[in-house]
Amino acid sequence: MSTAAVAVRAPAHETGSYLEHGRGVRSWLFTLDHKRIGIMYLVAISACLLLGGVFALVLRMHLWSPQGALVSNDAYNKLFTLHGAVMIFLFIIPGIPAALGNFVLPLQLGAKDLAFPRVNLLSFWLFVAGAIFFLVVLVVGGVDTGWTLYPPYSLESARGLGILLALSAVVLTGFSSILTGVNFIATIHRMRPPGMGWFDMPLFLWALYATGVIQIISTPVLGITAAMGFLERIFHLGLFMPEYGGDPILFQHFFWFYSHPAVYIMILPAMGVVSEVVSVFSRKPIFGYRFIAVSSMAIAIIGFLVWGHHMFVSGQSRWASLAFSFLTMLVSIPSAIKTFNWIATMYKGAIVLKTPMVYVLTFFAIFGVGGLTGLFLGLLATDVPLHDTYFVVAHFHFVMVGAVMIAFLAGLHYWWPKMTGRMYHEGVGVASAWLVFLGFNLTFVPQFLAGVLGMPRRYATYAPQFTAHNRLSTVGAFVLALGLVVALAGLLHSLRRGRRAPPNPWGAASLEWTIASPPTHHNFDETPRARGPYDYSGLHEVSEDAGWVREEGR
Amino acid sequence: MTELPNRILHLLAGAGPGYLPARASSVAEGVDQVFLLLFWVSAFFLALIILLTIVFVLRYRRRATRLHPEPSPAHSTRLELLWSVIPLALVMALFVMSTRTWIQMTSADPGGDPVRVQVTGRKWSWWFDHPSGKGANELHVVAGRPVELILSATDVIHSLYVPEFRLKQDAVPGRFTRLTFTPTVPGSYPILCAEYCGTDHSRMLSTVVVHADQASFDAWSKEGLPADATLADLGKQVFAEKGCAACHSVDGTRSVGPSVRGLWKRHEKLADGTTALVDEEYLRESLVKPGAKVVAGYPNIMPPMPLEERELKAVAAYLETLAAEGGAPAKGEETKR
Repeated sequence: MSTAAVAVRAPAHETGSYLEHGRGVRSWLFTLDHKRIGIMYLVAISACLLLGGVFALVLRMHLWSPQGALVSNDAYNKLFTLHGAVMIFLFIIPGIPAALGNFVLPLQLGAKDLAFPRVNLLSFWLFVAGAIFFLVVLVVGGVDTGWTLYPPYSLESARGLGILLALSAVVLTGFSSILTGVNFIATIHRMRPPGMGWFDMPLFLWALYATGVIQIISTPVLGITAAMGFLERIFHLGLFMPEYGGDPILFQHFFWFYSHPAVYIMILPAMGVVSEVVSVFSRKPIFGYRFIAVSSMAIAIIGFLVWGHHMFVSGQSRWASLAFSFLTMLVSIPSAIKTFNWIATMYKGAIVLKTPMVYVLTFFAIFGVGGLTGLFLGLLATDVPLHDTYFVVAHFHFVMVGAVMIAFLAGLHYWWPKMTGRMYHEGVGVASAWLVFLGFNLTFVPQFLAGVLGMPRRYATYAPQFTAHNRLSTVGAFVLALGLVVALAGLLHSLRRGRRAPPNPWGAASLEWTIASPPTHHNFDETPRARGPYDYSGLHEVSEDAGWVREEGR
Repeated sequence: MTELPNRILHLLAGAGPGYLPARASSVAEGVDQVFLLLFWVSAFFLALIILLTIVFVLRYRRRATRLHPEPSPAHSTRLELLWSVIPLALVMALFVMSTRTWIQMTSADPGGDPVRVQVTGRKWSWWFDHPSGKGANELHVVAGRPVELILSATDVIHSLYVPEFRLKQDAVPGRFTRLTFTPTVPGSYPILCAEYCGTDHSRMLSTVVVHADQASFDAWSKEGLPADATLADLGKQVFAEKGCAACHSVDGTRSVGPSVRGLWKRHEKLADGTTALVDEEYLRESLVKPGAKVVAGYPNIMPPMPLEERELKAVAAYLETLAAEGGAPAKGEETKR
């Protein structure tokens, strides 16, 4: 790759962008550039979303009729297990922090890279290794334990190689997640530019910081639990299996000590994206910055103390249940505060309804439903009948798919011009947002109703009274899938045909928008001077092609 | 498929508070009160969020005539404290109300001389040992009489769930859990398994029969076989009561386990390549230690199911009649597996 070749091939405006810096597959696979690693994550997790999505559609088709329309009970059980595991470990958890966060975090800090670029690359490859283990699980016959892996079922002798591979995959992706968290925390502590105090950071960085804290504290517990499962399965140590003198409830405590905070690993970055987008597209500083920043940390801390609300009917002590219910009620408050602050941000704003903002508007309704239905499951009296029913399925899909995936799509469209140097098609983007919203509600609202009536989750067959609920849900799943395909098509199309993106197409004020789209390999030629991330004064729109420019001195 | 539009209408009309299942235990009403209060509180806040979003978007949209935001404060400590404290007060009130109901639901002393039933969960049926000594795969209780279930499981975790009672409790191998309730309305209600337990999790169904009075319960309890019943009749009853039919068909149909039709005195191919003669000894071993000799082509998933000697003989006699009646097994089913 001679410089001449670059000069000939690359359009003038792209010369020197990080996309042009080094050619060939190797320059990507072994890159230390956080932007390229972010893009590789984006490709990898999108593939996982596709895989998990195909599983979901097969599941929904199977549930078209009460006796099961498509596959055997065992095949159904394997499908829902892999659907859950792939979506959680390979899409939702790494989605926003590893793909978008990797790309955006150093840019918002005005830094040239993360604190530990090599660790970042290692983190990516550990993720890929974990993903490959999950795929191997598929090939060797699958596991049918559910993603929660509760023993004794998961460690019974009938489940051999598959469960060991799945546990290994969980450990690998867990390590990847820990390393990302360490990297983000170190970067935010050490590499903020002069003039950027903690309360001058964009809220997305606060969200990633709080996420990092959860990742490094809770994820090791997941690794330890998987290791214990491994040892129990092979050496029968008597940890979790009653037949060797172990306690299956102990596993549940360990499991949820990670997996409940993991919900906040998913939702906090989503909240960070929403905070950025709602401010930029209302053209107003975010309302109540400090409350939002502090509430992220409050969620991160209280979120560690609520795991037992998954175990109200397991036989854990009544006093434990009481305490967990109380703390669960507390953790709802920071989320409520954020929601009101976001809405207050729009008050008297100049609201621009571009794709990221349309996604965020639907986020408000969906996160509202997801959060409020969480209260039903945190309260002891209502959790007992609703536990392990479709009400729970609907609730966590509202939070994890509705809120997190929609925020991911909002963030993806928002930072797409920065990542690729191209503008996606607005009409297609907005259409995808509405299709996703419509399909999503059609899929999961009937599941709330079925759950209230008493349809348990993880059922391969069901009572005929639930036929209508399930059919609506199946139709909805296809509308949702269509929405995602439209979004994907729009974005891919823009790679070739999209308008060239100006440095600042949205009129945003955080640092990533002060440099070229796409950025150069080194991001910033000199350390930028930090200014308020939501200070829109002096920004004005030159034209659609030239984007927004700040007039200094105003 | 043609009735789907009607069902959608029905569903929409039924959505909301009137939609809850029937109430058939003394705690159901308390649970529903918490549920409905929370439903309306949630509906209010959701409506508020959506309404404010829509109004703000319509009112404050950026247009050619309105390019810039109007001046407004970037924070307001008073407002933010207000929308922290009000939700906090609300959820705390709900917590107190919920906890009061929950204490009744899980009361250590249900009062009024409770009937104690031992419950065993296993793949994929429930077994209830009633205090009268009668065991059955359905639960029988009397309206108005408190019940205390002591639950355990033989293999993996199951969860006993009766939507009409608004109650659920996991049955965990290696420990005992309890569930107390007072049924209020006579009738039959489904018992579901709510904790994922493998292949036939969704078919692990049973029934709780709430008798109107003690006399009706006693009549069921003493119900037996007619005087002229044969050993095979008893075996048929044991086969049904122990839930064997959940996995072993009697008509040659392939299910989770081999069909028992035409099984008796047959040489079965085993998973390890050997064969075994199906006789009393094989039957006994397969019930006590099901993994010892697994029939080829079937998973090793049956839980141990020890029978009394009398029951074992009866089942053997019953299987013998199936061989005689059935003659040759249904074509292409048993022998080839």
